[in-house]
Amino acid sequence: MALEIVNWLQDVREHLRVSRRRESLRQPGQGFDYTEKKYQNVVRLVVSAIHPQRMRLRVVEIIQETPTTKTFRCQRSDGPLPPFRPGQYVNLFVDVDGVLTSRPYSIASAPGSETLELTVRDNPGGFVAPYLLHEIKVGDELETTGPQGQFYHEPLIDGDDLVFLAGGSGITPLMSIIRDALQPEHCEQAVLDRATPKIHLLYGSRVPEDVIYGAELAALAAGHANFRYAPVISEPPPGYKGRSGFLGADLIREQIGDAAGKTFYICGPQAMYDFCLATLRKLGVPSHKIRRELYGPPADVTQEPGWPEGLAADTLFEVEVVGQKTVRAPAGEPLLNTLERYGIVVPAVCRSGACSACRARLLSGRVFQPADTGLRESDREHGYVHACVSYPLEDLRIRL
Amino acid sequence: MTQKYDAIVIGAGLGGLSAATMLARNGLSVLLLERHNVPGGYATSFVRGRYEFEVALHELSGIGPPERRGSLYRYLEYLGVADKVEFLHVPNLYRAVFPDLDVTLPSGREAFEAKLCETFPHEARGIRRFVKRVFDLRKDFIKTSKQGGAGSPATMPFRLPHFFRYLPVTWGHVLNRDIKDPLARAVLSQYWGYVGMPPSQISFFYFATTLAAYVWRGAAFPQGRSQALSNAFLATFEELGGEARMSCGVERITTANGRVTGVVTEEGEEIGADWVISNADPITTCRELIGDDEVPPRFFTRLQSSEIGPSTVNVYLGVARSPEELGFTEHEIFLNEDYDFDRHYEMMRTVDVASPPAVAVTCYNVVYPGISPPGTSIVVLTALMYGEPWCEVPPAEYVATKNRIADGMIRMAERIAPGLRERAEVVEVSTPVTNMRYAGTLGGSIYGFNQPPRDNMVWRMGNRGPLEGLYFVGAWTQPGGGYEPAMMSGQMAGGAIVRNVKRETSNVKRET
Repeated sequence: MALEIVNWLQDVREHLRVSRRRESLRQPGQGFDYTEKKYQNVVRLVVSAIHPQRMRLRVVEIIQETPTTKTFRCQRSDGPLPPFRPGQYVNLFVDVDGVLTSRPYSIASAPGSETLELTVRDNPGGFVAPYLLHEIKVGDELETTGPQGQFYHEPLIDGDDLVFLAGGSGITPLMSIIRDALQPEHCEQAVLDRATPKIHLLYGSRVPEDVIYGAELAALAAGHANFRYAPVISEPPPGYKGRSGFLGADLIREQIGDAAGKTFYICGPQAMYDFCLATLRKLGVPSHKIRRELYGPPADVTQEPGWPEGLAADTLFEVEVVGQKTVRAPAGEPLLNTLERYGIVVPAVCRSGACSACRARLLSGRVFQPADTGLRESDREHGYVHACVSYPLEDLRIRL
Repeated sequence: MTQKYDAIVIGAGLGGLSAATMLARNGLSVLLLERHNVPGGYATSFVRGRYEFEVALHELSGIGPPERRGSLYRYLEYLGVADKVEFLHVPNLYRAVFPDLDVTLPSGREAFEAKLCETFPHEARGIRRFVKRVFDLRKDFIKTSKQGGAGSPATMPFRLPHFFRYLPVTWGHVLNRDIKDPLARAVLSQYWGYVGMPPSQISFFYFATTLAAYVWRGAAFPQGRSQALSNAFLATFEELGGEARMSCGVERITTANGRVTGVVTEEGEEIGADWVISNADPITTCRELIGDDEVPPRFFTRLQSSEIGPSTVNVYLGVARSPEELGFTEHEIFLNEDYDFDRHYEMMRTVDVASPPAVAVTCYNVVYPGISPPGTSIVVLTALMYGEPWCEVPPAEYVATKNRIADGMIRMAERIAPGLRERAEVVEVSTPVTNMRYAGTLGGSIYGFNQPPRDNMVWRMGNRGPLEGLYFVGAWTQPGGGYEPAMMSGQMAGGAIVRNVKRETSNVKRET
């Protein structure tokens, strides 16, 4: 009891000491001076150096990679290039005939290089790619987001035995990873004291002329024991001597041997994903060893599981965007694209349902969203949708 | 000026959401502006592949089991938010792992005390004495919140003896007197990560009220993750007639004659209001939104004693293995290299570490089985780190730095969960820079200003800002950092404005 009284007095005496300490810190020149310059704008400066929201890229060189593909080599004109993970993309904003829209393009160059390269393949019937290929000249400025996306080699969990399955222009993000990994001082592995990864690239193209970076890949394979390259042509011309066919189980097995312990990366058109996923399953590759890039909205949403039977893609519905205007939207087109055609600006980044930049509130009506849309559980319950992969099934009211 | 509202709330973090809803609930016209496109601030979630990760919440206090709800739950009920969220009960507070001890503490005062005494029988007397101190203080603290304040300082020692006594001392100061075994001290102090400073520096008052809140009613976790809480707030706010705009940043707070008059948005729209409530940190609010010249210098003088608190590095893992296979039976696990928490704290100020010496491992599936697909788990590793050293990392070394630290954290977690790395399907690493990016907060701080005794609750900056009509909410202000306190800050600031408005209205009535 006596001891407790002593303790009590001791504690109360602390009031004085602590008050004195507080007061002394509040004297001029003491304590934390939040009027200092280092607290001004610091968050914005730090964040924009690593994650710029927007970048202006000046095209300094255009390389004709194949008859239908160009690489735009760019320098950033509004600051230094930010760090990025090889495999990431930027979303490129364009104004095509008065329609403000955007498309994600993978960065093909490796981090640390002076320029940033975007490789674009023509896409017959496409909206943005033909514009870029025909209209953009050296000296033009492009506006993009900062680097985005989660399709990259992650040394934390991916191991160092990698198999890349690429189709067509799906080579671009993988090219960035390959270029980075084969540099002597590459950014990804060195820090974790891991071995340089072993990369095995199986690259499917329709015809030999379509192969992008063919010469560079062949040269890299010749110069690096840890990189193997196998081009595969699906429609070989008469007399073609190389590998032909699709990236099927037999070919993969023949090329890579045992699949155990390997991490697989798939990037290509949607049909190739479906094919490759089935193939890898057949080879016994567990799902946690498969990385796949996003591929945009489904090529034909009416073929998606769960699409209402009998609803034609060209059925029109009224979509009221609260506070803006009412538009007529076809069932088979992503809402985001429809709104952009009507001049409504919607923030968008991945355009594949994953990033939630185009999250919008559905006030009434129903939409179709593919099962793998990356919607938050509670967003679903509260009636939010991702406009880039939402298709109207009836008249709608939405709020952006 | 296009429109005039009674109040404009800047930022839809939990503080801003709570203040906005509180004001709308009391009939004020309120405009809520948020720069990001999703409400919640740190109280949010993100999707990677087939996993949806909780960003920040480990354990929520103030909810309690259905039969005895806590004060936060009753406040959510009052607003109309409570019936839009299901809360899951977290039965055990934490598992503490040290090289020479592995113990799990249950919630409930008696069970908590019994488990401690059983683990450290030689310290049983001291443990009982210490736990009693913690709960004595809690009683006084509850008295003050019921009375709406501590009352006159002159009579405080008699009316609120524990409150008065423990205000100026650290947790370590009190703990070390009652308990001698350093391991017992460490086990009792494991929640220091929830208050941001080690026992030798953190206010006893702050730590004790936090610990008591968890021990008394246990912890909870919202079904749908903390995004469900944020979405429920926003939905309630809108039902009550409030207007919210996401993706709408504020450029400036307008003032006239020392009083706030409204805001200008980043798109240049001027909007008038009698009250402006900022959920941005007070320094950013005053320096970037108001301007140094408009803010009375004494505001900054007062803040000289306040230090910006720590931020976090989080490693979010989606793992293709069930929690049972990974060996997880507890929701929250604290892993410690040793029990020298002062050293751990010093290491939070540098990025030159192979691995943080202490990591919190949260496996959400233990209390929330549906949080990821069957046969998979969501495991989040958290280490506290200060934001400042991260601001100095050259951009070109940023990825390497964060991966080096994340790698060390995974290695540490694998000691209790072998196969964690091998079976990982998705990994995402956040740093203090990530916190700054999404919440715009100085230092990426998660608890606002630190709470040593000199700067604890009572002396912490109040909700009233340095200009008439300006209020602060969120972790930086009263009552402090953490989910429950952030929501309470909105209740406090909102309540103060409502009382003001009512007083003015009754004055006007009297005059007419």
